[in-house]
Amino acid sequence: MVRRNRGCNGLDHVISRRGFTAGGMSAALALPALAASAPHADLRRGHKRILQIYLQGGVSQFESWDPKPGTLYGGPFRAIETSVPGMRICELLPHTAQRMHHLSLVRSVNLKTNDHGVGRKIMERGRRQEGYPYVGAVAAKYFAPTGNPLPGYIHISTRGLIDDTDAFLGPRYAQLRLEGVQPPENIRRLPTVTSGSFRRRNLFRLRLNQRAARRGQTARTDLYNGSFEQAQQLMSRRSLFEKEPPASDLERYGTHFFARNCIFARNLLEQGVTCVKVTHHGYDTHAENFNFHLEQLGEFDQPFATLLDDLHARGLLESTLVVVMSEFGRTPKINRMYGRDHWGASLSVALGGCGIKPGMIVGKTNHQGTEVADREVDGGHLFHTYFQALGLDTTRPHEKPGNPVPIGDPAMAPIDELLA
Amino acid sequence: MTAIDPKQIHQTAEFQHERPLTTCRIDPRGRFVFAGAEDLNIYRWELETGEKTTLSGHESWVRGMDFSADGQWLLSAGWDGRVGWWPLGDRQPQADRLLKAHEGWVRCVRARSDGQLIATCGNDNLVKVWDAGQRETVWELAGHQRHVYSVDFHPGGRFLASSDLMGIVKVWDLQTGKETRTLDASVMTGYDKKFAADMGGARDMRFSTDGQLLACAGVTDVRNAFGGIQGALVLLLDWVTGKPLRQLKDGDYQGVGWGVRFHPAGFLVAAAAHRGGGGVLWFFHPDQEKPFHTFPLKACGRGLDMAPDQKTLVTAQADGYLRVYLMTAQA
Repeated sequence: MVRRNRGCNGLDHVISRRGFTAGGMSAALALPALAASAPHADLRRGHKRILQIYLQGGVSQFESWDPKPGTLYGGPFRAIETSVPGMRICELLPHTAQRMHHLSLVRSVNLKTNDHGVGRKIMERGRRQEGYPYVGAVAAKYFAPTGNPLPGYIHISTRGLIDDTDAFLGPRYAQLRLEGVQPPENIRRLPTVTSGSFRRRNLFRLRLNQRAARRGQTARTDLYNGSFEQAQQLMSRRSLFEKEPPASDLERYGTHFFARNCIFARNLLEQGVTCVKVTHHGYDTHAENFNFHLEQLGEFDQPFATLLDDLHARGLLESTLVVVMSEFGRTPKINRMYGRDHWGASLSVALGGCGIKPGMIVGKTNHQGTEVADREVDGGHLFHTYFQALGLDTTRPHEKPGNPVPIGDPAMAPIDELLA
Repeated sequence: MTAIDPKQIHQTAEFQHERPLTTCRIDPRGRFVFAGAEDLNIYRWELETGEKTTLSGHESWVRGMDFSADGQWLLSAGWDGRVGWWPLGDRQPQADRLLKAHEGWVRCVRARSDGQLIATCGNDNLVKVWDAGQRETVWELAGHQRHVYSVDFHPGGRFLASSDLMGIVKVWDLQTGKETRTLDASVMTGYDKKFAADMGGARDMRFSTDGQLLACAGVTDVRNAFGGIQGALVLLLDWVTGKPLRQLKDGDYQGVGWGVRFHPAGFLVAAAAHRGGGGVLWFFHPDQEKPFHTFPLKACGRGLDMAPDQKTLVTAQADGYLRVYLMTAQA
């Protein structure tokens, strides 16, 4: 079982490490060690990461990874060849098609739900039951290096989907959601608050924390501290937010919102964030499915392909698991509004990078794409696969005192043929 | 001659296909009706006999068609990026040519009435003008920033109008290949904040016979683009002033306007699809916002054309039926 270095990483230590109490937030920001852009030494020693691209609303498998041109429900788009002989994907992904040698496809996911929330949770937690942590939280818990000052799990999304991402792992591992390339609101010290006053407030806060801890009131304090700590960590890397991407990046990725988020994701991964999740909205296409997939996947394709290029070129792909997922797919039947509705019975996931054999197709759907025809899997199988690819034994229990909980659903198993 | 009276409209025939239809046209002699469908073919029915013929060649759906000025050729706009020339009267028409015209979908094809030029537009944000005889580009007109949905030649012949997703109508001078002005149809588009996407575009666009009006069928008041919650609309633009003249609609009818035609008698007819199913044919006076008559369709109306006799209408519908109507009293 992979174990994170669980040396002292309490709040006091973290703050002391930053010189927080010595000079307040501004002093912390001035420390050269924190302002340095080079990855922490831990990362060079095999830090494993996850890049999750979440196509929110349910991308159509027909218009992405499992095209069925010329069939009853195939829709208007054609299939194109990819860099993997025999693997064809939808013509809406021409750039990604040329990078499929980095990825594999699972075309046989059956979630048995058509509900957004349920599908999302199964895909994120690998379980149907409530109370389990998301992929990103598990990654942050077991793979985030101790010395890295950034949060372990950052989710870039313009919309807030409320959920308990960390479950019993604790708020330190919860997602920190950013609305694009900008720091969370209210992160900066107000101009009306002097640095001295700010420092005194923080000392007072710490004393209250200590008092609460002595009384055994740790849950809420931890939650608060987690948020505060994450904010501090992000402030220490303000340049991540403030620096306009180089023109060469914008030219390669594009200039729109998702392109900028992909550049940001690359930078965060380089800076040592363990799980970066980028949500691309706009796939819940009950009407005009084809026009909207043209628009949305047209926006997705080039930045994602370029991100794969950069991760590969910088040597990060072999230590970074890349997953493109949705909460479900879309119906084979095209409705009267040229839309496709929710469909959890046969969808696809693309994944690659760390620990995953590239260029594979696992499972298949039938001729018309109406059901899984071979190697049916569920979110639980995928969850096991992600983490076993990273080297985590998902049959072992979480580090949860008193009530061991297996990391992966014991009823499920990894997709062995995908594991490198 | 039997008097034309839209209020007397009634169905006279229907032709079935196993897939939903996407568009339809009647040939200039009124003998055949052609339809696109949610498959890779074009279908031809002979109106008198109902004989069905399949025209195969495109590799994607067809949603735009027109006829050469001499009435010999069917022109098809394929979502495979190609424009087809089909000898429409042949027993089994084969594409004389399927020409790569645009990157991405060709959304519309239109022939000029003098037989000299053909215009196409598509997802590469381009409008192209072709020599009809040589089948070579005369002008490649760049300027739209988003997908171009519709084109139509002004009856005077010198100008071409093109309309895009954002409701921008550009007017091009075909003598110079230059954009001369922009008309504002922005009421026909909307940005859905929740889904972060634009919805709009003229699904059909037609000049009136006298060239004074330009009618655009589509949507307005976009509230939930991904759920199809928006108003169906025909927007009338004044060619002389370039300003929107009137929004023709029926209250809060939610759906999409897919087809529009000017009738020589002075009224307009439009086909619309309701988001909940069903559809309508609306009959408008150009100076009144509300339709003076509404005829319900059995399924969502996705295409509309009028026969040369000016009495017959055809609609392509989402239930796979091509339905034929007469705007006269029933015999």
